[in-house]
Amino acid sequence: MGFVARLLMACLLTLCAGTAHAQKQGGVLRVTHRDNPPSASIHEEATISTDMPFMAVFNNLVVFDSDSKQNRLDRILPDLATSWKLSDDDKTLTFQLRDGVKWHDGKPFTSADVKCTWDVVSGKVDGKMRKNPHKTWWFNVKEITVNGPLEVAFHLTDPQPSLLVMLAGGFAPVYPCHVPAAQMRTHPIGTGPFKFVEFKQNESIRLERNPQYWKPGRPYLDGIEYSIIANRSTAILALVAGKFDLTLTGEVTPELVKDVKAQVPQMECLVQPSNTQGNLLVNRERPPFDNPLIRRVLSLSIDRKAFSDILSRGVYNIGGAMLAPPEGLWGWSPEFMATVPGYGADVEKSREEGRRIMRELGYGPDKMMPLKVSTRNIADYRDASVILIDHLKTVYIQGELEPLDSSVWYARLARKDYAVGMNVQGTGIDDPDVQFFENYLCGSERNYTSYCNADLEKLYHQQSMMKDQDARRKLVWEIDRKLQEDGARPVVYQSQGGTCWWPQVKGLKLAVNSIYNHWRFEDVWLDR
Amino acid sequence: MLSYIIRRLLLMVVTLFDVSITIFLLLRIVPGNIADILFDSAGLIDPAEKQKIIADLGLDKSLPVQYAQWILGLFRGDLGFSYVSEKPVIDEILPRIPITARLAGLALLFAIAMGVPLGVISAVRQNTGLDYALRVLSLSGLSMPSFWLGLLILMAFVHYFGTIPIYDRAPANFWAWLQMLVIPAAAVGFRSAALIMRLTRSSMLEVLRQDYVRTARSKGLSDGSVTYNHALRNAVLPVITVIGVETAFLMGGLIVTETVFNIPGVARFLVEAIRWRDYPMVQNLVMFIALVVVVVNLIVDLAYMFVDPRIRYSE
Amino acid sequence: MSARIEIAAEQPSRKPGRMSEFWNDVGYLARRYPLGVAGAIIMVIFVFAAVFAGTVAPLDPFTTNPRASLAPPGSKYLMGADMMGRDVFSRMIHGARISLAVSLGATFLGSGFGAALGLASGYVGGWFDLLVQRVAEIMQSLPLLVMALVITASLGPSLPNTIIAIAIPLIPNVARVIRSNVLSLREMPFVEAAKATGMSEFRIAVIHVLPNTLAPLIVLATAQLGSTILTEASLSFLGLGVPEPWPSWGRMLSESAAEYVRTAPWLVIFPGLAISLVVFGTNLLGDALRDALDPRQRD
Repeated sequence: MGFVARLLMACLLTLCAGTAHAQKQGGVLRVTHRDNPPSASIHEEATISTDMPFMAVFNNLVVFDSDSKQNRLDRILPDLATSWKLSDDDKTLTFQLRDGVKWHDGKPFTSADVKCTWDVVSGKVDGKMRKNPHKTWWFNVKEITVNGPLEVAFHLTDPQPSLLVMLAGGFAPVYPCHVPAAQMRTHPIGTGPFKFVEFKQNESIRLERNPQYWKPGRPYLDGIEYSIIANRSTAILALVAGKFDLTLTGEVTPELVKDVKAQVPQMECLVQPSNTQGNLLVNRERPPFDNPLIRRVLSLSIDRKAFSDILSRGVYNIGGAMLAPPEGLWGWSPEFMATVPGYGADVEKSREEGRRIMRELGYGPDKMMPLKVSTRNIADYRDASVILIDHLKTVYIQGELEPLDSSVWYARLARKDYAVGMNVQGTGIDDPDVQFFENYLCGSERNYTSYCNADLEKLYHQQSMMKDQDARRKLVWEIDRKLQEDGARPVVYQSQGGTCWWPQVKGLKLAVNSIYNHWRFEDVWLDR
Repeated sequence: MLSYIIRRLLLMVVTLFDVSITIFLLLRIVPGNIADILFDSAGLIDPAEKQKIIADLGLDKSLPVQYAQWILGLFRGDLGFSYVSEKPVIDEILPRIPITARLAGLALLFAIAMGVPLGVISAVRQNTGLDYALRVLSLSGLSMPSFWLGLLILMAFVHYFGTIPIYDRAPANFWAWLQMLVIPAAAVGFRSAALIMRLTRSSMLEVLRQDYVRTARSKGLSDGSVTYNHALRNAVLPVITVIGVETAFLMGGLIVTETVFNIPGVARFLVEAIRWRDYPMVQNLVMFIALVVVVVNLIVDLAYMFVDPRIRYSE
Repeated sequence: MSARIEIAAEQPSRKPGRMSEFWNDVGYLARRYPLGVAGAIIMVIFVFAAVFAGTVAPLDPFTTNPRASLAPPGSKYLMGADMMGRDVFSRMIHGARISLAVSLGATFLGSGFGAALGLASGYVGGWFDLLVQRVAEIMQSLPLLVMALVITASLGPSLPNTIIAIAIPLIPNVARVIRSNVLSLREMPFVEAAKATGMSEFRIAVIHVLPNTLAPLIVLATAQLGSTILTEASLSFLGLGVPEPWPSWGRMLSESAAEYVRTAPWLVIFPGLAISLVVFGTNLLGDALRDALDPRQRD
């Protein structure tokens, strides 16, 4: 074939390839939002309220492959890092960085920005952040060095395969050196597909397309608009009425999903684990739970299936500290779970055992043990607490609900001024390093109950260093079982939440084991 | 007259001053401050880090010092910075005031437009079935919680029209604003309408019984002109009373209605600010509300004197 | 009092016996103030339900039952069930108890303190009077709901705190009305006469002046009753009033119920209807009382 003919062929082929995808440019995506984000700085927050809207402003070093439904270590793709290499002793992770990337204010992105970001979040340098909730994630980072503007290396104290997983999550964006933390809270600057436009407290968040984004042709959308509607029911009604395209992730309860699909059959809704769990904070330093017998009675009284049934019509998962399979990577298999005390199927038998113990302690149906159940004064927390109190009645414990204003709740936790608290907490990434080190490590800030077990801590570190993920999983199961046996923080349910969107929203890919990691929106387009 | 106004203005300033002290102290009895709230959303409880924030924001200074800083700032026009958004309080409050003002204005308009004519009709047709029906209607207006009315309206719209009249984005022009606010205004104004209806009715009845009306009738003036010329003038008084008395209650109705219909006004913002323990925001908002109430009261009292020359204040 | 005199005058042929006398009076009242009696009947039902909630309510309002979650109104759940499977009808009846407790408590507290303050300041006068006036002025510059919001936010959500938060803003209104009444009563001849006999000021205040302020006080208190119920509903709706697990009508309407506006409208309709009916009853009763006891304010 002649040269011209081949050229024509090539042109035709690319044209065909283009029209096969048929992504449309343009349009503003309208999303409902529930809660006012405390600030716009992802590194300073741990809530989906901040993560979902502002993740699109940034890039990470690496990201999870959005084609994989599970966020996992072996499905990680380059973002601002084009490649990476682990040293022979597994203690140094070196990244080669992308050239020609610019911050939204025009300044160039270099390796210094990576060093700045992680020096601050790991606590080595005071970046004037108001708070640092993910500090424990980076405990293993000894030092960060740069080698020229396009190469950066993380030097670790011990091998840690999970470091890459943490760098791929939504809570690990790269921040610019030249923008102070205060500004990142109100007007963040990133390298991402969308630029920050405005954030009206309690009202709306607006982002617009970054025309200088380093991925050609992306993003497809002209902008994204979040409207804050405090009442979930009105937000969903507005979605159904066509005022919005997408809901905040996990916003739609499984019950409401059924209702939405009944009204709008073509609506796409996905119910998936939100990696949020309901658990009990048990104060071991004060009566009555300083007595291990009563702690045991507490875990025997819980009917986990009832929590799931009432709160979600049976959709919620049951498991330990790690998210249950098939969505979670590290949760117990059903066979293993049956061997964990308190997770047996016969609730009545467990409760009978609990009653027996209580009778030996001198309690009975006419002499119930009084107990204050503290919780945050929020609907989800309160509903779970009401169910708990109901269950406690079956083992001769008379529970009284003590709803606390959020600020008071944490103050009381800090002072250990409570008996048992109903707690709801999310975990940013489905990874044992994150779960164990954030919540169960001695002295960790989120270890509210000050649970301290030196033997288990050795095991936390041991599993953190293991390269063989299958062997690691077995060890994680054992640790999880010990935690539940010990009543460290009895897990009551693992919630699921729904996300709904109109069919004209295309290219949205959600993961099943985390809600925090896929809100770049660079591949999303509107078909209208 | 002038001395009366001056005296009232001075009194107003003193009252506002007292209100500022009251709200300042009330807020600080509250356990928990912005540091606690910020940390709770991240689930952290480290006391040392919290102390840093508290020091940064000047919350660890003694109460009189904090109070003085605020008041002196007020005189300079500096209302302080929001703890949450870190922007100047003025920038947060100012854009929201017109929204609530429009809602309140529309609500009052609705109340007057519904209340006065119905009150007149009810008085003129006293003790008929129509009168009883209207009286029951006005009583239900006073009995229904305004947020319930708002919820019912939302439900009705969803059920019958498939739409939902909540605020989702800033309206582009005047007509869009009207469209957006007319339903919530009706929900808020229903109660005031009921009150105006009742007061108009009783005021009309009193006047209709009086001698000069009988005299006018006996002079041969038609019923219609008697009603509308003589009696109606006295309906103005209850409307003014309601505006004065109801301003305070209207505020409460605005808070819950803005919540139900998701309107980003000053009233709903106050609730959020209280939840966040955003002291500068709450203090200034409450002062603003007190200012509005006190000014409205003054205008109402002056209007009274203007409308009914028999009323004079000797105190 | 004027009403009783009229009763005696218009009923020449009375049957003997106190019970039949009572029913005659009731019949008379029913004819003369039909709306007022209707209001009284509503209030009686309300109080009855509140006091005997334990026996009247068919089911336990606190027991959760996952299988019955969001059940529509039917034979077992007369008004349906809420998200946790609790019987709405039983919760409504127990909710009456809460509403009654809060409204009566707040009204008594507020009116009591207000009357005492008004009496003292009106009678004593001087700097005490000025002080009370100042405080009243401050409290009246702030809307009821706003004050209640800040107070409950500061004290924490609990039943007694809600009562206090609602009672406090009532005080200035009552004090003002009582004070102006006292001011005019103070000049009356019978007070002068009492003074002339050498009675102490305190005794005069309590024995002669106070009883004559009772009529407007009762009318005022009944009017306040309705507004306290509404304020409690609003506070609970905003999440700052009566906390779990007590069933408050206002809280039943808040988030959890409003969630299911489409799927379970009975969760929204019934509690709101209850609030409106009870307040309606107090208004009817208050109107009738005002007509009967205080002819100066008559329609």
